[in-house]
Amino acid sequence: MAQFSGCPGSRMVDFREKSDHNKEEAKGTIQSQLRQWPIQLHLISPTASYYQGADVLLTADCVGYALGGFHPEFLKGKSLAIACPKLDEGQDIYQEKIKSWIDDAKINTLTVLIMQVPCCMGLLNLAQQAAKGAKRKVPVKYVVAGIQGEILKEEWA
Amino acid sequence: MEAQLNRSIKEVIKDFPPVEKILDEYGIGCGPCAVGLCLLKDIVSIHNLPADQEQEMMGRISQVIQPGQKVQIPRAERKPEAKPKELKYSPPMKKLVDEHVLIKKWLALIPEILPRLDLESEEGRQLIRDGVDFIRSYADGFHHAKEEDILFKFFDENLDMVKVMREDHKTARNHVKAIVEGLEGKDRQTVVHHLSAYRDLLSQHIKREDEIMLPWMDNQLSVSQVGEMFSKFLEVEERMDSYQKKYEDFISRVERKYRKKEE
Repeated sequence: MAQFSGCPGSRMVDFREKSDHNKEEAKGTIQSQLRQWPIQLHLISPTASYYQGADVLLTADCVGYALGGFHPEFLKGKSLAIACPKLDEGQDIYQEKIKSWIDDAKINTLTVLIMQVPCCMGLLNLAQQAAKGAKRKVPVKYVVAGIQGEILKEEWA
Repeated sequence: MEAQLNRSIKEVIKDFPPVEKILDEYGIGCGPCAVGLCLLKDIVSIHNLPADQEQEMMGRISQVIQPGQKVQIPRAERKPEAKPKELKYSPPMKKLVDEHVLIKKWLALIPEILPRLDLESEEGRQLIRDGVDFIRSYADGFHHAKEEDILFKFFDENLDMVKVMREDHKTARNHVKAIVEGLEGKDRQTVVHHLSAYRDLLSQHIKREDEIMLPWMDNQLSVSQVGEMFSKFLEVEERMDSYQKKYEDFISRVERKYRKKEE
Protein backbone atom coordinates (compact mmCIF):
# COMPACT_ATOMS: atom_id res chain seq x y z
CA MET A 1 0.00 0.00 0.00
CA ALA A 2 1.30 3.46 -0.84
CA GLN A 3 2.42 5.56 2.10
CA PHE A 4 -0.26 7.96 3.28
CA SER A 5 0.54 11.47 2.11
CA GLY A 6 -2.57 13.44 3.04
CA CYS A 7 -3.53 15.42 6.12
CA PRO A 8 -2.19 13.70 9.26
CA GLY A 9 -5.30 14.88 11.09
CA SER A 10 -7.49 12.76 8.78
CA ARG A 11 -5.19 9.76 8.45
CA MET A 12 -6.94 6.49 9.22
CA VAL A 13 -5.36 4.65 12.13
CA ASP A 14 -6.70 1.43 13.65
CA PHE A 15 -5.23 0.73 17.06
CA ARG A 16 -7.75 -1.84 18.30
CA GLU A 17 -5.00 -4.46 18.41
CA LYS A 18 -2.64 -2.20 20.33
CA SER A 19 -5.18 -1.10 22.93
CA ASP A 20 -4.10 -2.23 26.37
CA HIS A 21 -7.15 -4.08 27.65
CA ASN A 22 -5.27 -5.27 30.70
CA LYS A 23 -5.05 -1.80 32.21
CA GLU A 24 -7.36 -1.43 35.13
CA GLU A 25 -10.58 0.33 34.18
CA ALA A 26 -12.55 2.56 36.53
CA LYS A 27 -15.59 0.79 37.92
CA GLY A 28 -19.02 2.31 38.50
CA THR A 29 -20.21 5.78 37.58
CA ILE A 30 -17.43 8.28 37.01
CA GLN A 31 -18.27 11.67 38.46
CA SER A 32 -18.49 14.37 35.79
CA GLN A 33 -16.31 17.39 36.56
CA LEU A 34 -18.22 19.66 34.18
CA ARG A 35 -19.63 22.61 36.13
CA GLN A 36 -21.21 24.78 33.44
CA TRP A 37 -23.20 24.91 30.21
CA PRO A 38 -22.75 25.75 27.34
CA ILE A 39 -19.20 24.73 26.48
CA GLN A 40 -18.74 25.38 22.74
CA LEU A 41 -16.63 28.51 22.25
CA HIS A 42 -19.18 30.12 19.90
CA LEU A 43 -21.94 29.56 22.42
CA ILE A 44 -20.31 30.64 25.65
CA SER A 45 -20.27 34.13 27.10
CA PRO A 46 -16.67 34.91 28.11
CA THR A 47 -17.88 36.94 31.07
CA ALA A 48 -20.19 34.25 32.48
CA SER A 49 -19.93 33.86 36.24
CA TYR A 50 -18.07 30.56 36.02
CA TYR A 51 -15.22 32.17 34.06
CA GLN A 52 -14.64 35.02 36.55
CA GLY A 53 -11.17 34.56 38.05
CA ALA A 54 -11.22 30.93 36.91
CA ASP A 55 -8.63 28.49 35.69
CA VAL A 56 -9.91 28.01 32.15
CA LEU A 57 -9.42 24.93 30.02
CA LEU A 58 -9.67 25.49 26.28
CA THR A 59 -9.70 22.12 24.61
CA ALA A 60 -9.86 20.84 21.07
CA ASP A 61 -13.06 18.89 20.39
CA CYS A 62 -11.33 15.52 19.95
CA VAL A 63 -9.45 15.62 23.26
CA GLY A 64 -12.44 14.63 25.37
CA TYR A 65 -12.68 11.36 23.42
CA ALA A 66 -8.96 10.59 23.33
CA LEU A 67 -8.07 11.11 27.00
CA GLY A 68 -9.44 8.42 29.29
CA GLY A 69 -8.83 10.54 32.37
CA PHE A 70 -10.06 13.84 30.92
CA HIS A 71 -12.55 14.65 33.69
CA PRO A 72 -10.50 13.89 36.83
CA GLU A 73 -7.09 14.83 35.44
CA PHE A 74 -7.78 17.93 33.38
CA LEU A 75 -11.32 19.25 33.78
CA LYS A 76 -11.56 19.07 37.57
CA GLY A 77 -11.60 22.55 39.09
CA LYS A 78 -11.57 24.31 35.72
CA SER A 79 -14.09 26.13 33.53
CA LEU A 80 -14.28 24.81 30.00
CA ALA A 81 -14.65 25.80 26.37
CA ILE A 82 -14.20 23.56 23.35
CA ALA A 83 -13.39 24.37 19.73
CA CYS A 84 -11.97 22.85 16.57
CA PRO A 85 -9.26 24.95 14.91
CA LYS A 86 -9.62 22.99 11.67
CA LEU A 87 -13.35 22.90 11.06
CA ASP A 88 -14.88 25.81 12.98
CA GLU A 89 -15.69 29.07 11.22
CA GLY A 90 -15.49 32.57 12.66
CA GLN A 91 -12.27 32.08 14.54
CA ASP A 92 -11.74 35.83 14.82
CA ILE A 93 -14.66 35.70 17.27
CA TYR A 94 -12.79 32.99 19.20
CA GLN A 95 -9.82 35.30 19.54
CA GLU A 96 -11.98 38.12 20.89
CA LYS A 97 -13.60 35.79 23.40
CA ILE A 98 -10.23 34.58 24.70
CA LYS A 99 -9.13 38.20 25.07
CA SER A 100 -12.30 38.92 26.96
CA TRP A 101 -11.63 36.01 29.32
CA ILE A 102 -8.28 37.57 30.17
CA ASP A 103 -9.28 41.25 30.31
CA ASP A 104 -12.92 41.17 31.43
CA ALA A 105 -13.39 37.90 33.30
CA LYS A 106 -9.86 38.25 34.71
CA ILE A 107 -9.21 34.54 34.50
CA ASN A 108 -6.39 33.12 36.63
CA THR A 109 -4.80 30.78 34.04
CA LEU A 110 -5.49 29.41 30.58
CA THR A 111 -4.68 25.81 29.73
CA VAL A 112 -4.90 24.82 26.07
CA LEU A 113 -5.35 21.10 25.58
CA ILE A 114 -4.85 19.91 22.01
CA MET A 115 -4.28 16.74 20.00
CA GLN A 116 -0.95 15.83 18.46
CA VAL A 117 -2.19 16.34 14.88
CA PRO A 118 -0.63 19.44 13.26
CA CYS A 119 -3.91 21.28 12.63
CA CYS A 120 -4.56 21.34 16.37
CA MET A 121 -1.61 23.69 16.88
CA GLY A 122 -3.94 26.30 15.37
CA LEU A 123 -5.87 26.41 18.64
CA LEU A 124 -2.71 27.08 20.64
CA ASN A 125 -1.63 29.78 18.16
CA LEU A 126 -5.06 31.38 18.40
CA ALA A 127 -4.88 31.41 22.21
CA GLN A 128 -1.34 32.78 22.21
CA GLN A 129 -2.26 35.56 19.79
CA ALA A 130 -5.24 36.48 21.93
CA ALA A 131 -3.14 36.43 25.11
CA LYS A 132 -0.56 38.64 23.42
CA GLY A 133 -3.24 41.13 22.41
CA ALA A 134 -4.85 41.26 25.85
CA LYS A 135 -4.10 44.07 28.30
CA ARG A 136 -3.72 41.71 31.26
CA LYS A 137 -1.18 38.91 31.35
CA VAL A 138 -1.96 35.40 32.52
CA PRO A 139 0.08 32.19 32.48
CA VAL A 140 -0.78 30.01 29.46
CA LYS A 141 -0.08 26.31 29.60
CA TYR A 142 -0.41 23.81 26.78
CA VAL A 143 -0.82 20.09 26.82
CA VAL A 144 -0.55 17.85 23.76
CA ALA A 145 -2.45 14.55 23.79
CA GLY A 146 -1.60 11.62 21.53
CA ILE A 147 -4.34 9.91 19.54
CA GLN A 148 -4.10 6.89 21.83
CA GLY A 149 -4.66 8.98 24.94
CA GLU A 150 -1.09 9.51 26.09
CA ILE A 151 0.25 12.92 27.18
CA LEU A 152 3.05 13.87 24.80
CA LYS A 153 3.89 17.32 26.09
CA GLU A 154 2.95 19.58 28.96
CA GLU A 155 4.57 23.02 29.11
CA TRP A 156 4.05 26.65 29.98
CA ALA A 157 3.83 28.65 26.77
CA MET B 1 21.23 2.99 56.46
CA GLU B 2 17.54 3.75 57.03
CA ALA B 3 18.54 5.80 60.11
CA GLN B 4 21.12 7.76 58.09
CA LEU B 5 18.48 8.66 55.51
CA ASN B 6 16.55 10.44 58.26
CA ARG B 7 19.52 12.48 59.52
CA SER B 8 20.42 16.00 58.38
CA ILE B 9 23.03 16.16 55.64
CA LYS B 10 25.32 18.27 57.84
CA GLU B 11 25.42 15.49 60.47
CA VAL B 12 25.93 12.76 57.86
CA ILE B 13 28.82 14.65 56.23
CA LYS B 14 30.34 15.43 59.64
CA ASP B 15 30.36 11.75 60.60
CA PHE B 16 31.20 10.43 57.11
CA PRO B 17 33.16 13.14 55.19
CA PRO B 18 33.53 11.13 51.91
CA VAL B 19 29.74 11.38 51.47
CA GLU B 20 30.17 15.04 50.49
CA LYS B 21 32.41 14.12 47.56
CA ILE B 22 30.08 11.34 46.40
CA LEU B 23 27.07 13.70 46.44
CA ASP B 24 29.12 16.28 44.58
CA GLU B 25 29.91 13.79 41.81
CA TYR B 26 26.18 13.42 41.17
CA GLY B 27 25.64 17.20 41.04
CA ILE B 28 24.34 17.44 44.62
CA GLY B 29 26.46 20.21 46.10
CA CYS B 30 25.35 20.15 49.75
CA GLY B 31 28.84 20.50 51.17
CA PRO B 32 29.15 24.32 51.16
CA CYS B 33 25.56 24.81 52.40
CA ALA B 34 25.65 27.00 55.52
CA VAL B 35 22.58 25.38 57.05
CA GLY B 36 22.58 21.69 56.08
CA LEU B 37 19.27 20.91 57.76
CA CYS B 38 17.83 18.88 54.86
CA LEU B 39 17.51 15.17 55.51
CA LEU B 40 19.60 12.86 53.34
CA LYS B 41 16.45 11.15 52.03
CA ASP B 42 14.87 14.51 51.03
CA ILE B 43 18.05 15.57 49.22
CA VAL B 44 18.05 12.35 47.21
CA SER B 45 14.36 12.71 46.43
CA ILE B 46 14.52 16.41 45.45
CA HIS B 47 17.34 15.88 42.96
CA ASN B 48 15.25 13.25 41.21
CA LEU B 49 18.17 11.31 39.72
CA PRO B 50 17.41 8.49 37.28
CA ALA B 51 16.78 5.24 39.21
CA ASP B 52 20.06 3.58 38.16
CA GLN B 53 22.16 6.61 39.15
CA GLU B 54 20.35 6.92 42.46
CA GLN B 55 20.96 3.23 43.25
CA GLU B 56 24.63 3.57 42.30
CA MET B 57 25.10 6.70 44.42
CA MET B 58 23.25 5.24 47.42
CA GLY B 59 25.31 2.07 47.07
CA ARG B 60 28.51 4.09 47.30
CA ILE B 61 27.20 6.08 50.27
CA SER B 62 26.20 2.89 52.08
CA GLN B 63 29.72 1.52 51.58
CA VAL B 64 31.09 4.61 53.31
CA ILE B 65 28.61 4.32 56.17
CA GLN B 66 28.63 0.55 56.58
CA PRO B 67 31.73 -0.74 54.72
CA GLY B 68 31.59 -4.32 53.48
CA GLN B 69 27.97 -4.85 54.45
CA LYS B 70 25.29 -5.65 51.95
CA VAL B 71 22.55 -3.13 52.53
CA GLN B 72 19.03 -2.95 51.15
CA ILE B 73 18.80 0.54 49.69
CA PRO B 74 15.33 2.05 49.59
CA ARG B 75 14.45 4.12 46.56
CA ALA B 76 13.80 7.68 47.71
CA GLU B 77 10.12 8.46 48.11
CA ARG B 78 8.64 10.99 45.74
CA LYS B 79 5.37 12.75 45.54
CA PRO B 80 3.54 11.35 42.50
CA GLU B 81 3.37 14.71 40.76
CA ALA B 82 7.15 15.20 40.87
CA LYS B 83 7.57 13.79 37.37
CA PRO B 84 10.99 14.04 35.77
CA LYS B 85 10.82 16.61 33.01
CA GLU B 86 13.05 19.07 31.24
CA LEU B 87 13.91 22.27 33.06
CA LYS B 88 11.24 24.69 31.92
CA TYR B 89 9.91 27.10 34.49
CA SER B 90 6.34 28.30 34.93
CA PRO B 91 5.93 32.05 34.16
CA PRO B 92 6.26 33.28 37.77
CA MET B 93 9.28 31.04 38.46
CA LYS B 94 10.82 32.24 35.19
CA LYS B 95 10.55 35.80 36.50
CA LEU B 96 12.53 34.89 39.62
CA VAL B 97 15.18 33.19 37.49
CA ASP B 98 15.31 36.21 35.15
CA GLU B 99 15.80 38.55 38.11
CA HIS B 100 18.79 36.45 39.12
CA VAL B 101 20.49 37.53 35.87
CA LEU B 102 20.82 41.18 36.99
CA ILE B 103 21.92 40.12 40.48
CA LYS B 104 24.54 37.77 39.00
CA LYS B 105 25.88 40.65 36.88
CA TRP B 106 26.46 42.60 40.10
CA LEU B 107 28.10 39.58 41.75
CA ALA B 108 30.41 39.19 38.74
CA LEU B 109 31.53 42.82 39.12
CA ILE B 110 32.53 42.53 42.78
CA PRO B 111 35.95 40.84 42.17
CA GLU B 112 36.73 43.58 39.66
CA ILE B 113 35.70 46.37 42.03
CA LEU B 114 37.39 45.19 45.23
CA PRO B 115 41.12 45.28 44.26
CA ARG B 116 40.77 48.91 43.25
CA LEU B 117 38.39 49.95 46.00
CA ASP B 118 39.27 53.35 47.40
CA LEU B 119 37.16 54.37 50.39
CA GLU B 120 39.14 57.57 50.82
CA SER B 121 37.62 59.04 47.68
CA GLU B 122 33.98 60.17 47.44
CA GLU B 123 33.70 58.29 44.13
CA GLY B 124 34.81 55.02 45.77
CA ARG B 125 32.39 55.45 48.68
CA GLN B 126 29.52 56.32 46.34
CA LEU B 127 30.09 53.15 44.34
CA ILE B 128 29.68 51.05 47.48
CA ARG B 129 26.65 53.11 48.56
CA ASP B 130 25.06 52.46 45.15
CA GLY B 131 25.95 48.77 45.36
CA VAL B 132 24.37 48.52 48.80
CA ASP B 133 21.28 50.32 47.48
CA PHE B 134 21.06 47.77 44.63
CA ILE B 135 21.38 44.87 47.08
CA ARG B 136 18.91 46.28 49.59
CA SER B 137 16.30 47.58 47.15
CA TYR B 138 16.50 45.18 44.21
CA ALA B 139 18.09 41.90 45.34
CA ASP B 140 16.52 41.93 48.80
CA GLY B 141 13.63 44.43 48.96
CA PHE B 142 12.20 43.32 45.63
CA HIS B 143 13.47 39.84 44.68
CA HIS B 144 13.90 38.18 48.09
CA ALA B 145 10.71 39.81 49.32
CA LYS B 146 8.81 38.18 46.41
CA GLU B 147 10.21 34.84 47.52
CA GLU B 148 9.54 35.33 51.23
CA ASP B 149 6.16 37.09 51.07
CA ILE B 150 4.66 35.20 48.12
CA LEU B 151 6.51 32.07 46.93
CA PHE B 152 7.20 30.56 50.37
CA LYS B 153 3.57 31.08 51.41
CA PHE B 154 2.61 28.30 49.00
CA PHE B 155 4.78 25.88 50.99
CA ASP B 156 5.14 24.67 54.55
CA GLU B 157 7.32 27.24 56.30
CA ASN B 158 8.93 24.38 58.24
CA LEU B 159 10.19 22.78 55.04
CA ASP B 160 13.98 22.48 55.27
CA MET B 161 14.34 24.00 51.82
CA VAL B 162 12.41 27.12 52.83
CA LYS B 163 14.40 27.42 56.06
CA VAL B 164 17.67 27.22 54.09
CA MET B 165 16.58 29.95 51.68
CA ARG B 166 15.43 32.22 54.53
CA GLU B 167 18.67 31.59 56.42
CA ASP B 168 20.70 32.60 53.34
CA HIS B 169 18.69 35.82 53.01
CA LYS B 170 19.30 36.58 56.69
CA THR B 171 23.05 35.93 56.41
CA ALA B 172 23.17 38.17 53.31
CA ARG B 173 21.47 40.98 55.26
CA ASN B 174 24.06 40.68 58.02
CA HIS B 175 26.87 40.98 55.47
CA VAL B 176 25.25 44.11 54.03
CA LYS B 177 24.90 45.61 57.52
CA ALA B 178 28.62 44.99 58.08
CA ILE B 179 29.47 46.53 54.68
CA VAL B 180 27.59 49.70 55.64
CA GLU B 181 29.39 49.85 59.01
CA GLY B 182 32.71 49.38 57.23
CA LEU B 183 31.82 52.11 54.77
CA GLU B 184 30.92 54.56 57.52
CA GLY B 185 34.20 53.89 59.32
CA LYS B 186 36.16 53.88 56.02
CA ASP B 187 37.30 50.40 57.02
CA ARG B 188 38.41 48.94 53.71
CA GLN B 189 39.19 45.49 55.08
CA THR B 190 35.69 45.04 56.53
CA VAL B 191 34.01 46.17 53.30
CA VAL B 192 36.18 43.86 51.20
CA HIS B 193 35.64 40.90 53.54
CA HIS B 194 31.85 41.19 53.75
CA LEU B 195 31.29 42.07 50.10
CA SER B 196 33.35 39.00 49.10
CA ALA B 197 31.42 36.84 51.56
CA TYR B 198 28.14 38.24 50.22
CA ARG B 199 29.22 37.37 46.69
CA ASP B 200 30.17 33.79 47.63
CA LEU B 201 26.92 33.27 49.53
CA LEU B 202 24.63 34.69 46.84
CA SER B 203 26.42 32.86 44.00
CA GLN B 204 25.81 29.51 45.72
CA HIS B 205 22.30 30.54 46.75
CA ILE B 206 21.25 31.48 43.22
CA LYS B 207 22.79 28.33 41.74
CA ARG B 208 20.86 26.19 44.24
CA GLU B 209 17.64 28.06 43.50
CA ASP B 210 17.97 27.92 39.71
CA GLU B 211 18.98 24.29 39.49
CA ILE B 212 17.28 22.61 42.43
CA MET B 213 14.86 24.56 44.57
CA LEU B 214 12.79 26.53 42.08
CA PRO B 215 12.33 23.56 39.66
CA TRP B 216 11.32 21.37 42.61
CA MET B 217 8.89 23.98 43.94
CA ASP B 218 7.50 24.49 40.44
CA ASN B 219 6.73 20.79 40.25
CA GLN B 220 4.71 20.91 43.45
CA LEU B 221 2.46 23.82 42.42
CA SER B 222 -0.94 23.34 40.82
CA VAL B 223 -1.92 25.32 37.70
CA SER B 224 -4.21 27.44 39.88
CA GLN B 225 -1.40 28.25 42.34
CA VAL B 226 0.88 29.25 39.45
CA GLY B 227 -1.81 31.71 38.27
CA GLU B 228 -2.26 33.10 41.78
CA MET B 229 1.48 33.53 42.28
CA PHE B 230 1.81 35.18 38.84
CA SER B 231 -0.80 37.83 39.65
CA LYS B 232 0.70 38.53 43.10
CA PHE B 233 4.14 38.94 41.50
CA LEU B 234 2.63 41.36 38.97
CA GLU B 235 1.36 43.62 41.76
CA VAL B 236 4.85 43.84 43.25
CA GLU B 237 6.48 44.29 39.84
CA GLU B 238 4.16 47.19 38.99
CA ARG B 239 5.33 48.97 42.14
CA MET B 240 8.98 48.27 41.22
CA ASP B 241 8.53 49.21 37.56
CA SER B 242 9.92 52.74 37.79
CA TYR B 243 13.01 51.50 39.69
CA GLN B 244 13.83 48.58 37.39
CA LYS B 245 15.54 50.81 34.83
CA LYS B 246 17.47 52.64 37.55
CA TYR B 247 19.11 49.40 38.68
CA GLU B 248 19.71 48.11 35.16
CA ASP B 249 21.41 51.44 34.40
CA PHE B 250 23.52 51.17 37.56
CA ILE B 251 24.81 47.73 36.56
CA SER B 252 25.50 48.86 32.97
CA ARG B 253 27.35 51.93 34.24
CA VAL B 254 29.61 49.89 36.53
CA GLU B 255 30.15 47.29 33.79
CA ARG B 256 31.20 50.01 31.33
CA LYS B 257 33.55 51.58 33.87
CA TYR B 258 35.32 48.34 34.81
CA ARG B 259 35.32 46.76 31.36
CA LYS B 260 36.78 50.00 29.94
CA LYS B 261 39.64 49.88 32.45
CA GLU B 262 40.34 46.28 31.50
CA GLU B 263 40.58 47.17 27.78
